[in-house]
Amino acid sequence: MLVHFNQSLQTTRPGVEGSRETFAELSGRVVESLAALLQQGQLDQRTLSRLHIHLDWIQYRANFRDPIVVRRAFDAAGALLPLAEIAIDLRQVETLRLTTMLAEAQRELRRRPVPSSGPVEHAPLVLGEYGPLRDSVIWQFNRLFWQRLAEWEAASGQGFEAALPSGRSDANHPQAISDSVGDFWTLLRDLEARAQLPAEIFALEVGIGSGTRARIWLDRFKALDEQCGTGYYARLKFILGDYAPQTLDQALAAVGPHAPIVSVMAMDALNPFKTLSFLRFKILHVHLTNVYDNMPFDELVRRDGRLYMVETRPALSAAAAGQLAATLGVRVDEIPVLFRRLLEIGPEVFEDRTRGMSFWRCIWSALRLEERLRAIDDGDEAHVPSGLGREHIDELLDAAPHDVRFQVSRGAAESFANTLPLLHPRGYLQVQDIFVPAMDDYRQGFYGPGKLDGSVVSWVNGALLRAVGARAGYDVHFAPFRYRPGSKTMMLYTTQRD
Amino acid sequence: MTMTLPVLPTTVTGSYSMPEWLKRAKNDYLQRRVSRHDLDDMYDAVRKAAIKDQEVAGVDIISDGELQRDNMIDYFAERLPGVQVDFGSKRFYYDYYDSTVRSKLATGALGLVDEARSLRVLTDRRTKVTVSGPHTLVKRIQNLYYPSEEAFALDLGRVLNLELRELARAGVTDLQIDEPYYSGFPEDLPWAIRAINAMVDSLDAHVTLHICYGNRYGKPSWEGSYRYLFPTIAEAKVHAISLEFARRGDEDLQLFNEFKVPFKIGLGVIDVKSHDVESPGVVADRIRRALKILPAERLVINPDCGLVHLPRDVAFMKLAGMVEGTRLVRQELTR
Repeated sequence: MLVHFNQSLQTTRPGVEGSRETFAELSGRVVESLAALLQQGQLDQRTLSRLHIHLDWIQYRANFRDPIVVRRAFDAAGALLPLAEIAIDLRQVETLRLTTMLAEAQRELRRRPVPSSGPVEHAPLVLGEYGPLRDSVIWQFNRLFWQRLAEWEAASGQGFEAALPSGRSDANHPQAISDSVGDFWTLLRDLEARAQLPAEIFALEVGIGSGTRARIWLDRFKALDEQCGTGYYARLKFILGDYAPQTLDQALAAVGPHAPIVSVMAMDALNPFKTLSFLRFKILHVHLTNVYDNMPFDELVRRDGRLYMVETRPALSAAAAGQLAATLGVRVDEIPVLFRRLLEIGPEVFEDRTRGMSFWRCIWSALRLEERLRAIDDGDEAHVPSGLGREHIDELLDAAPHDVRFQVSRGAAESFANTLPLLHPRGYLQVQDIFVPAMDDYRQGFYGPGKLDGSVVSWVNGALLRAVGARAGYDVHFAPFRYRPGSKTMMLYTTQRD
Repeated sequence: MTMTLPVLPTTVTGSYSMPEWLKRAKNDYLQRRVSRHDLDDMYDAVRKAAIKDQEVAGVDIISDGELQRDNMIDYFAERLPGVQVDFGSKRFYYDYYDSTVRSKLATGALGLVDEARSLRVLTDRRTKVTVSGPHTLVKRIQNLYYPSEEAFALDLGRVLNLELRELARAGVTDLQIDEPYYSGFPEDLPWAIRAINAMVDSLDAHVTLHICYGNRYGKPSWEGSYRYLFPTIAEAKVHAISLEFARRGDEDLQLFNEFKVPFKIGLGVIDVKSHDVESPGVVADRIRRALKILPAERLVINPDCGLVHLPRDVAFMKLAGMVEGTRLVRQELTR
């Protein structure tokens, strides 16, 4: 048996809220429980010898995992492989039930992988087929959330930012914005000294939130420009990009007196170049906050030298399904149909929209992703994001721990690659987000996805973006966000690669 | 072999499309997974393909595609006697080696003559050979010997001059010197031109000086106006200067109304940083606009820069569009 401690970043944290147990104590209890099961004959030596136990600490308490999950591995043709994993979210697990739950997981491992036909008591309610995470229904939920944000916020009684771990967005930190303006202004001065300052100074913000950051940024830029008499403000063309027209309207209102130099552009963050191709090589400053962590990704696993794709399928636990059915006054077997309708038309799935909102919020809260590992054949390239080659993934793996689970942040990579061509030769791109800067960092923690209010959030593979940047002529750097102690966000910034 | 060229002759700026598989092979060579022999075989195949594509597209003056070059620095740094190259310093072929000059450059052959001869065996078209200029090389080779960049550049000019003379002696009629770094360091221009003049001293060949805004990774390295070239550029003892106008627009053509220079202009009519293929009509229109400022006898038609970053089908179609657009204008001129 191999025990993977995916937690070193959290070792000093206390355990489950209300409990005094530390991560170390919880880990000890897992080993103790497994030894007890072995002693009692509930765990056989053969299974144990192949078993991988993963001790995770998932940052987002609201996530897609049960406290203990079983993962089995299959080859490309669907045949069962010997590899088996039990993953335990130590943040959620109830220690008093740990031994019982591990025994259940062990029984699950011995069960046939294909469920028998017909309903099985206590079996989860499966809501879809297995597939890569990029194709998961969680992205349909995510889209629904951003399209219907106002309704969600009205139902929850709080704004989206309140759901952030710190309760507010680091994007709007005044000192951070002020320093960002200062750096940009320094670049403009340098360009002017070289007689290379363009007549029009283009800046772009994508993922604009409420427009608060843009307002602070423009206020500071104008003040600095007036203070130094440089006349840059009059040449500034500030573009706000988002795919939601109501967000753009809100942001335009937020920038107030700066509106005459601000343009709002509806765009797909996956491909800003498509909308702004007329600004190719012209934008001097691009900023994104918390955009990449909300874009589709896949997860890959390497175990014993073999590469696997993490495949998931949506499900509700039997208890959650029963509770949901009771709350809504429907039968459990009606839930899958209502689930699909919800994703198609939104909370209008019920005539009573309040009931529809309740269904949406409840099923999202209860939604779990069952996982399995699908071996990747040598010739398979489906796991490689567009614009990259398999050799890039191989290069990432060369720098990764031997046993590793990591994101292939496909959406972030695509967005990044489709933003870089907008940059002026001296321009730069800044991204504030949650990054795993190097492949080796995956050794130190589990960086799985979570739920942030009604949206999806996941760590972004910084090493992948570094590979994308290098191919496009940019070096990619990461720096901690130093303006708020304990902030998990980092700053990505680009420099020209010579 | 000197062939008569039509009015508005067409040419390439140097490199041709680099296939993805060749990039992988170059990287594998650096990782010792591909032998030098195998890589040279691949170069031979892509050289022939590049020549054929240029011929079929109808380009008047062609190159060998330059796909054996990793980039515009290393190819020369490796060959310049006296430049020390750390061959372990890169994993990705397109990166630059760490290269250093620690003593006065020696005199020796760079190997371009053999390549030029093999090109002439493979085609009946008029051919050109391109060489990175002293200013560009100075910016990337670490100088631990010469008292100044200018001194290093002038000595590079001396060494490169010997190679260019050998090329001319071997029958090469068209030479091009590439200097993209001028646009990043316009303050260097006076001594950079002196280095060019050292490089072309007593040279019996048609020399074009190519000055762009960079094409590293298929993107510009700088932006601005060619105004910085004037009037100093007039001191360059070359026959033509080749500039990029397709991507940047042709506003700077007005500079030739403002300043009198003695040479021909290589008119960039193909944007090599975009995959959008210019139609013959677009190309023709770009040439017509230039003809309002310069006579046809003083124009050579070429892409903005090398085609190395474009997919092969795009590169080919762009060249074909350039040739056809030029033909349309030639027809108008003969009416």
